[in-house]
Amino acid sequence: MKTHLKMASKLRSLGVIGVFALAAVFSPLPSLAQVKGGEIVIVQGSNPPSLDGMSTSSQASRNINMNIYETLYGFSEEIKPIPILAEGVDISDDGLTYVFTLRKGVLFHNGDEMNAGDVKASLERYRVVGATKNLLAPVKDIEITGDYEVTFHMVENTPTFLEAFSSPRAPAVIIPEEDGATEAGKNSFVGTGPYKFVEYVPDDHVTIERFDDYTADTRSEGIDGFGGKKTAWLDRVIFRIIPEPGAQVAALEAGEVQILEQIPMPAARRLESSPDINLFKNARWAFTTFIFNTSVSPSDNVKFREAVQVGLNMEEIMAISSEGLYTLNHRWQYEGTTYDPGMIGAEYYNQADTERAKALLAEAGYDGEEFSILTDSNIPQHGRSAVVIAEQLKGMGINAVINQVDWPTALNVRMQDEGWNGWTLQMGIEPYLGPVGLIATLASPARPHFVKPDAELDALYQELIKGATVEARQETFKKIQAHLYEIFAIIKVGDSGLMHAARSSVKGFIPFRFPRVYDIWLEG
Amino acid sequence: MIRFLIYRLLSAIPVLFVVTLVTFLIMWLVPGDISAEIGGIDATAADLQAIRERLGLDQPLWERALRWYGDLFRGDLGHSYTLNRSVIDAVLERLPVTLSLAGLALLLATIIGMLLGILASVRHNTWMDQGAMVTALVGLSIPDFWFGIVMIILFGVWLGWLPTGGFVPLAEDPVGWARSMVLPAFTLAITQMGVIARMTRSAMLDVLGQDYIRTARAKGMRARTVIFRHALRNAMIPIITVVGVISGVLLSGAVVIETVFSLPGVGRLIIGAIQRRDFPIIQGGLLITACVFVFVNILVDMAYVWFDPRGRDDD
Repeated sequence: MKTHLKMASKLRSLGVIGVFALAAVFSPLPSLAQVKGGEIVIVQGSNPPSLDGMSTSSQASRNINMNIYETLYGFSEEIKPIPILAEGVDISDDGLTYVFTLRKGVLFHNGDEMNAGDVKASLERYRVVGATKNLLAPVKDIEITGDYEVTFHMVENTPTFLEAFSSPRAPAVIIPEEDGATEAGKNSFVGTGPYKFVEYVPDDHVTIERFDDYTADTRSEGIDGFGGKKTAWLDRVIFRIIPEPGAQVAALEAGEVQILEQIPMPAARRLESSPDINLFKNARWAFTTFIFNTSVSPSDNVKFREAVQVGLNMEEIMAISSEGLYTLNHRWQYEGTTYDPGMIGAEYYNQADTERAKALLAEAGYDGEEFSILTDSNIPQHGRSAVVIAEQLKGMGINAVINQVDWPTALNVRMQDEGWNGWTLQMGIEPYLGPVGLIATLASPARPHFVKPDAELDALYQELIKGATVEARQETFKKIQAHLYEIFAIIKVGDSGLMHAARSSVKGFIPFRFPRVYDIWLEG
Repeated sequence: MIRFLIYRLLSAIPVLFVVTLVTFLIMWLVPGDISAEIGGIDATAADLQAIRERLGLDQPLWERALRWYGDLFRGDLGHSYTLNRSVIDAVLERLPVTLSLAGLALLLATIIGMLLGILASVRHNTWMDQGAMVTALVGLSIPDFWFGIVMIILFGVWLGWLPTGGFVPLAEDPVGWARSMVLPAFTLAITQMGVIARMTRSAMLDVLGQDYIRTARAKGMRARTVIFRHALRNAMIPIITVVGVISGVLLSGAVVIETVFSLPGVGRLIIGAIQRRDFPIIQGGLLITACVFVFVNILVDMAYVWFDPRGRDDD
């Protein structure tokens, strides 16, 4: 796989900055002594739809919520399930019983100690209001088996359960028992995290402050993914909502804010040599995809879809849609991760072979029918990739038209069986979650993104979630990767990155799936 | 005057009714609803339907409309689907931001625009006239979002004199409030300034050519008195008309400025609600905005009467 970066030399230097930044934060030297106190302002572009940790899967909410709430299990830096509020779990040999023991002495922000009653109430609430409540579908019931122990009785053996249960997408956070019966979004925003909720003024800011009685997990030396030993150094953190990217950058340059969740790439290039600003590259942020509607003509024809696959120039699409921060990758996993399927499917990727595409279109019997590309204006990458794809399709002789609407309309249209042929979508958290989280969006029982269920993919998905060992699941995922390059129902365009920026006075910041405001501090 | 006021208030009722009805119809025609926002991208059709049923979005339009009007008569504008608060609270807590912005912008646009217009008219066909009108034209032509960003970079980043965005409530810190309002209000005012300047110039030129102005000058009256007491007062009716129209434009233009300067105003609230399909906020927000607009128009009509004694005679 090749990494292609627009303005390669400049971005190489950004990479160097990132390496230095990482080296600096990981350095064990005592010269980087943490300083307690101070306030920072972090900027994000949109409001959190909810501060109820479990009822939303929105990134804007996760950015804040994961500093307030914690889960029993979560992902480590290497995306492996690790205990956070749990002491550990004993799984029976038949996989039908999970006994979670809880850490003792963990306090909620209201001062109460967390116990098994809180855990059961939280998870029962998750079954009702959890944005990804299906992750508890394999659990038949939850029993309190001690003050600090809960037992899950499973419907059937599901070897990937702990992985799914650790998902941060709409995390199964633990909240006080008295919030257990509240409706979605109506809880008291009390968690066990290192920061506690103070106020939310929509379209303006969310304020959180240090929870002085936070019970750190001393099993680790420091933070590890969503868990580890967390230390809140800052007194107060304000998440400010600034929708306009230009205004975000201006606020950072003026020193009014300290961290941008995302800095536009042109601004990043301009500021790369600024001594006041550090840039942090988060290269594996999302998959850029192009999804077909397999239930309507002409996209119901596999030869037609194959023509699009081999005709597209992925490098061009990624360069424009990501503003230059991308990696070409044909895999449906990130390269080098546990389930990396290797070179399967590479022969179809980034071919930009217009002649072969035309031949396949002729074979498909394509007669100039309209091909409607659904996209939206809310997520800029979606619109930009749709424009490039449409132009490339026209070059192949496909009568492509773009239907650009707003995000709610796009979600509504794509739920229809007709009225669209292709859809541009950034998959953010799904690839991070690993193969199960990703393929769940393409296989039954959910409605596959490409509309018409594919029986073989459904069977492979079942094989994947029931695979007893990692090795078995790796083999299954290779079959899935191969199958996706047989049905061409969804096209992997590439991996797109995200650039964060921070004032140089901010120390300890490490790019992650959300801005961890613990274990960062301000230079004294 | 009181009869006039009552008449104008009563005539506002059908206007507000039509506004709410049209909003209902438009939002009904727009595809998509809040269920997609709440359910997320992975929600199944059944999940989305369950959300719609919970929120009453599965009911026919007429039923929803009847329920909404019924609640309105009881003074209840409903509850936001996403903000965890009532519509009235959500709108009222943002109204000071939008009114501060639009009010200050109107003040700036009116004062500077009128001064430019007066200068251009009394120095007709001189370089001052040309200069004032070119300034007005430039102001009219500049896109406000671009001008806003330029102002932020200049005064917020390079000079560091003013904040780049955000809002400080007046009650919390009056100086902070003024600092947070200067750039957005000036940016919002700049385009409308040109309209007022041109209208003032045109109205003043008409009046300055009248016999009574010539007489006043012939009597040896001071130029300032002639311009401000005799000419300007008689030129005010068309200027007030423009200022009235501009009040509405400033209220709607505040949406863009609120976005550029990150101000939590009503404009951003409604735009966000439209993007999420938060119908109660859209309905209630537009109704309250329409009320403000109607109220401003009544004030403008009353100003006519104050400036033109013939109106008082009619009353």
